[in-house]
Amino acid sequence: MIDKNMKILVVDDFSTMRRIVKNILRQLGFVNIEEAEDGTQALKKLQTGAYGFVISDWNMPNLDGLEMLKRIRADDSLKNLPVLMVTAEAEKDKVVAAIQAGVNNYIVKPFTAEVLKEKMDAIFEKLQ
Amino acid sequence: MPDEMEEIINDFVTETQEMLDGLDEKFVQLEKDGSNTDLLNEIFRGVHTIKGAAGFLGFNQIVDVAHKTENILKKLKDGLMAPEPAVMDVILRAVDLLKVLLEHVRTRDGKEEDISAIIAELDAVNEGEPAPPATPEPVAGAPEDGDKVHEGMPEPQPAPPGEDTRKEQQSPPRSEETKKERATEQTIRVDVERLDTVLNLVGELVLGRNRLMKLVSRLEAIYPSDEITADIAEAMAFMDVTTTDLQLAVMKTRMQPVKKVFSRFPRMVRDLSRTRGKEVELVIHGEETELDKSIIEEIGDPLVHLIRNAIDHGIEPPEEREKTGKTRKGTLTLAASQQGNHIVLSISDDGRGIDTDRLRTKLQEKGMLSAEEAEAISDTELLEYIFMPGVSTASAVSDISGRGVGMDVVKTNIGKLNGYIDIRTEKGKGTTFNIKLPLTLAIIQVLMVEVRGNIFAIPLSTVIETLREESSDIYTVKGQEVIKLRGEVIPVVRVGDVLGLGMKTGNGAGKVYLVVVAVGERKFAVLVDRLHGQEEVVIKSIEGRVSASDGIAGATVTGDGQVVLILDMSMMMMKLIKSTFVLDR
Repeated sequence: MIDKNMKILVVDDFSTMRRIVKNILRQLGFVNIEEAEDGTQALKKLQTGAYGFVISDWNMPNLDGLEMLKRIRADDSLKNLPVLMVTAEAEKDKVVAAIQAGVNNYIVKPFTAEVLKEKMDAIFEKLQ
Repeated sequence: MPDEMEEIINDFVTETQEMLDGLDEKFVQLEKDGSNTDLLNEIFRGVHTIKGAAGFLGFNQIVDVAHKTENILKKLKDGLMAPEPAVMDVILRAVDLLKVLLEHVRTRDGKEEDISAIIAELDAVNEGEPAPPATPEPVAGAPEDGDKVHEGMPEPQPAPPGEDTRKEQQSPPRSEETKKERATEQTIRVDVERLDTVLNLVGELVLGRNRLMKLVSRLEAIYPSDEITADIAEAMAFMDVTTTDLQLAVMKTRMQPVKKVFSRFPRMVRDLSRTRGKEVELVIHGEETELDKSIIEEIGDPLVHLIRNAIDHGIEPPEEREKTGKTRKGTLTLAASQQGNHIVLSISDDGRGIDTDRLRTKLQEKGMLSAEEAEAISDTELLEYIFMPGVSTASAVSDISGRGVGMDVVKTNIGKLNGYIDIRTEKGKGTTFNIKLPLTLAIIQVLMVEVRGNIFAIPLSTVIETLREESSDIYTVKGQEVIKLRGEVIPVVRVGDVLGLGMKTGNGAGKVYLVVVAVGERKFAVLVDRLHGQEEVVIKSIEGRVSASDGIAGATVTGDGQVVLILDMSMMMMKLIKSTFVLDR
């Protein structure tokens, strides 16, 4: 079972999208959700608090999702943090790049609460 | 959670709207600077983001149009295509369609558009052959009947594999500018209705404060040395200051940068000059200047009108400009700045200007001026006629100089905002319109005057001075009462006459009071029985019987609880021009 009180960071530059993702996470019972509007802000937040999970958009200004992921993996205190990437369509070369950079899983938008749950379950099962 | 969903959709509409408005400007910029990859990335990301969010919310038409547009943007981004005007035309039409679709979402009218034409155009461009559009403006029109359109709707299709493989990870580093744009985390969206309620309540509070202040000063007059009176006065002074601060603070929450209105003009100017065969450079200054939200909303149409006129009639075709030694490209300058308690917006072009001689002749032909009036009238006064309903019909003016239809509407709309417009023009050099607007609509300083026992308020911003004169100093010249003030002849207006109240003012012998008022560059004097002094009032609009053309701008409740009508000075001046001979100074 995933801890429903786990601190989750939702990263997206479009506030409506953050709200949508938060809404879906709440449907799954998660209550401790924070937001960041780009990779730079996300990294700042990640460094200050004990986050258990990151769900991030790809294309963002300042620091995009892939670059953020690389920096998370390069940071000793964050390198084991599970990251789920949101992509627009199943794009093979993008996914490959993300996997090489150490993403835990990816999800194609738009997605439902069920699909997100499956992805999260898969991630946390592997981590066990 | 249906409420949560509602709110998310509202957020989506607002955020997407902002993004689309921003896109217009960026596209126009892109057309000039096609190799700007930062710009392209921003545009691409915008459309991409809209598509993503729309997908979650099930707005499939938006997804389809955004997706096809994104495909082309992708090619532009990767340098596989150039942002030629023909390509941009199609993309811009797609953005327009997105706006229409978003409007359907906003109004929840459940309607859909026929998007097949634009999809076909986008596909054609994407395949490398920008086909000429089937119809010139397929999306600009009003939404069609949704039901029948709906059936022909193609279902949203997943992108065929391979067709639009993206390589976003290769996008170059972002610029500093985009960072600044995003640094707005400390904001919260509030429903305008709530802000309006707060503003209204503050208005009531100001009225209450004014009334209390009157009562306190009466109390002080009756019990001057009483200790409690002093305490009350002190508490009152504190409340007075705080109320004023509160009022300012609330007004600030409603302020928005004029950029909100200006941002649509680069696109408009581009489209207009393209269709009219003109070359126009739009220069914008001071778009960060802030104005009350309601003024921002109302000022758009008058500005559109003036800009349209400037391009239609002001700026000459490139060949004509070259012949007269000008640059082929005309310049249209849009500027905003704050001047004290006012905001000044100016629209100036370097076009052919207004031919005042021809205007003179035309007005004579129309019987609006007699031969000798036409002779005597100054150019400044002559130009005021541009704003008269009879004159500004297309047939009368467009062949004189342009400045075509509906300038009277522009003037009226600006008058409704307690602002005024003036015009300066030089034949062959160009024309400038200056619009002066109050910072806020809700609260103004007025001069209270009494006319036959009735109290009226005159906006202080229009008042130059007050005079006390012998009534015998008022002369009548050609049926118009005038007064001579330091060598200047100023028409005198009787409030009762103008409002049609049948009140006689200051007739017979003795002293009368005159309030000298300026609207734009013109002055006149309002004759009143008594002056009551200056007061800060909250304007309440009057519903029903009174219209703006009656010379009443609104009403207010004074400190002593009376309802007072606020006079509309620009409307009074229009009546003066209409009804009388225009005086030459």
